[in-house]
Amino acid sequence: MFEMLLIEGLAIGACYGLFGVAVAIIYKTSDVVNFAQGEMGMMSTFVAYQIMTVYGWPFYIAFPATLIFAIVLGMAIEFCFLRPAKEPTVLGLLILTLGAEMLLMGLAGWKWGAEQKDFPFLLSVHDTIEIFPGFALNEWTIGVFVLTSVVMVLLFLFFRYSKLGIAMRATQQNENAAKIMGIKVERVFSITWGMSSLIGALAAMFFAARSVLDPNFMMEPFMRAFAAAVLGGLTSIPGVVIGGLILGITENFFGYAWPEWKPIVAFVVIILIITVRPSGLFTKHYVKKV
Amino acid sequence: MKKVLIAVMIVSTVFMISSWACAAKPGFDSKEIRIAQWGPQTGPAAPWGSVARGTDILVKLVNDEGGIHGRKIKYFIRDDQYNPAQTKAVVKELVEREGIFAFVGGVSAAAGMAVKGYLAENKVIWVGPSTAINEYVFPVQPYLFAIYPLYEDEASILTKYAVEKLKAKKIAFFYQNDAYGKSGLEGCKARMAKLKMNLVEESSVEPGEKDLSSQMLRLKKSGADVVIMWVNPTSATIALKTASTIGFKPQWISSNTLSDYPLMNKITGGLWEGVITGAFALAPDSDTPLLKKYREAAKKYAPEERWGTFYMAGILFAEPLIEALKKVGPNVSTEAVLKQLNSMKKFQGIGPPVTWSADVHQGSDSIMIQKCGPNSTYITLQDWTSNELATWKKKK
Repeated sequence: MFEMLLIEGLAIGACYGLFGVAVAIIYKTSDVVNFAQGEMGMMSTFVAYQIMTVYGWPFYIAFPATLIFAIVLGMAIEFCFLRPAKEPTVLGLLILTLGAEMLLMGLAGWKWGAEQKDFPFLLSVHDTIEIFPGFALNEWTIGVFVLTSVVMVLLFLFFRYSKLGIAMRATQQNENAAKIMGIKVERVFSITWGMSSLIGALAAMFFAARSVLDPNFMMEPFMRAFAAAVLGGLTSIPGVVIGGLILGITENFFGYAWPEWKPIVAFVVIILIITVRPSGLFTKHYVKKV
Repeated sequence: MKKVLIAVMIVSTVFMISSWACAAKPGFDSKEIRIAQWGPQTGPAAPWGSVARGTDILVKLVNDEGGIHGRKIKYFIRDDQYNPAQTKAVVKELVEREGIFAFVGGVSAAAGMAVKGYLAENKVIWVGPSTAINEYVFPVQPYLFAIYPLYEDEASILTKYAVEKLKAKKIAFFYQNDAYGKSGLEGCKARMAKLKMNLVEESSVEPGEKDLSSQMLRLKKSGADVVIMWVNPTSATIALKTASTIGFKPQWISSNTLSDYPLMNKITGGLWEGVITGAFALAPDSDTPLLKKYREAAKKYAPEERWGTFYMAGILFAEPLIEALKKVGPNVSTEAVLKQLNSMKKFQGIGPPVTWSADVHQGSDSIMIQKCGPNSTYITLQDWTSNELATWKKKK
C-alpha cells in the first residue's frame, strides 16, 4: 500500500508540477500570475477532443495540432488582452487574465456545452507496463513522469543557456534595461505566453484523461498547481516540479490516514513552509534595502 | 428633444416599477392554466436542463388531447443558469407578470430554497421539486408537494439489496462531503444497524476534487466487496478510473443521480457497465404502454432531444399535477387542486407510487433498482420497493 500511495502521489504531483511550470514561466518573465492558465489548457484539450471525436482524426494528428493551437492561443491572449494595456500595474494585468479566463470558459460552454465528456487519450490509465520484474506502472503514470522530466530538463537548459531564455530572464529582472540592451520585450512576452500555453495544454490533456472533460475541469487543478508553484518557488522551474511532487505525496499520505482532512492538509503544509521560507523552498529570498 | 426623452424615461421607469411591484396574477383564466419551471438551460449544470424540457412533452401531449376540461396548459421555461439569485428573479417575473398557477420540477436544492418562501407567500402550488431535501417537506409546506424519494430511503433500500440479494459481506460507503452525500450515508447506516452490520469503510470526497487515489486505496484496503457511492458524475468517473488503475474491482452501487447510463458510460469510457443504481423512473427503454406513449410523443414533439432519465423526470414530476387538475373538473381554483393533491393515493405514472395527505407532503419512499448492461442498456433488477425503515413515515 505504501508503494501505491507513493507512486500515485508522485504521479498526480508531477502533473501539478508540470502545470505549475506553465504558471511559473509567465511569472518568471512578467511577474504576473496568469489566472486564465487553467482555461487555456481546458480550451486546448477541447480542441484535441474536437479533432479526435468530431472530425475523427487520429491522436497523432490531433496532438501536434493541439500543441500548435495552444501556442497560438497563448500568444493571442497576450496580444489581445495584455499588450493593449497602457502602463499596466501587476494587479491590472492580473485582472485582465481573470477576464480572459471568464471569456474562455464562456466560449467553451457555448461551443461544447456543460455536459461532461470522456477524453480519448493515447495513454491508458488501466493498461500497465512492467518496468522491471514485479513492478508495473500504468501508461498514464509513465507518460507523466517522462513528460515532466523532459520538460523540466529542456526548460532548465533553455533558461540557463539559450539566448532567448536569457532574454526572458533579463526581461523579468529589468524590462527597461532589457529594452536598452536590444531585447524585443514584446516578442519575449509573446513567446513566453505561447510556451506557457503549450506546457499547460500538455498537463491539461493528462488531467482530462484521468477525470472528465468539461469547461470547469481545470479550475481545481489550477489551484493546486499554483499552490505547488508557490511551495517550490515561482521562479525556479525544478522547484515548481518538486513543489508539485511534495503536494501530491502529502495529499495522498494524509488523505489515506485522515480522509476528511485531505482537501486542506496540503495547504496547511504550504502555509507552514511559506511562513519559514516566504519565496518558496527553492528560491532565494532577496530583501531590498531602501 | 431632451425634455421629451427625460419624460419618456420617467414614464417608463414608473411603469416598470409599478408592474414589478404588483402582486401575483391569477394563474388561470377560461382558456388556459399557466404552469412553469425553472432550470439550467445554459451554464455549468445545463445537462440537467432536460428536466424542464421533458415536462414540455407532457404539456404538449395533454394539449393535443384537448387540454383539461376545455382549458389548454400554457407552459413557461426560464433559464436560471443554476444560480439561485437568477432563480429568484425569473420566478418573481413569472408569478407577477405572467400569473402562474403552479410550478413543477425545478433543479437545484439551493434554487428551490431561494424561492420556497416566495411561492408559499403567493400561494403558488409547487409539485415535484427535482431534488430530495428534507427542508422542502419537513415541516409540511401547504403548497409544496414532493415526489423525489429521499436519499436516506434510497440508500437504505440499496443497502438491503446489497446484503440480501448480492450477499455482500463487506460494504463500504464513498460519499460527497455535503448534505446529499451525508443523507445517503445516514440511510445506509440505518439499514446496516438494522442488519447488525457495520460499514468496513467510509470515505468522503469534496465535490471538486480531481485526485481520488488515497480514497480508492483506503476502499481497496478495506476489502469491500460492495462500494455504495453518493457522489456527482465527475467524482464517480474519477473514482472508477482510479479504482481501475489500482486494480480494485468491487460491485459499485450508486444513487439515482447517476442513473443516466448512456451519459455515465460515455464519460467513464465504458467503466459504468455493471454498476447498479437506484432509479426514480421506469427504465427509458421500458415497454409499458404509458412509457411507450411518452417516448413516441418525445419523438414527435422534440426529435432532437435524447430520450433519457432526466428528460423523463420532467414528465414524471408533472404527472400528479395534471392528474389533480383533471380530477378537479372545470371549476379550477388553488384550493380545489390542493384538496385533490392532499388526497392523492398511490397515484402512479412512470415514477414511484405517490401518496400525499394534508400531514405528509413527501410523496414517495420507493425506488427501482437497475443495472447498466452492455451498450448502456437498462436491466431492471427490482421493481418499486419502499423503505420500511423510513423514519418520516413513523413520525406522522
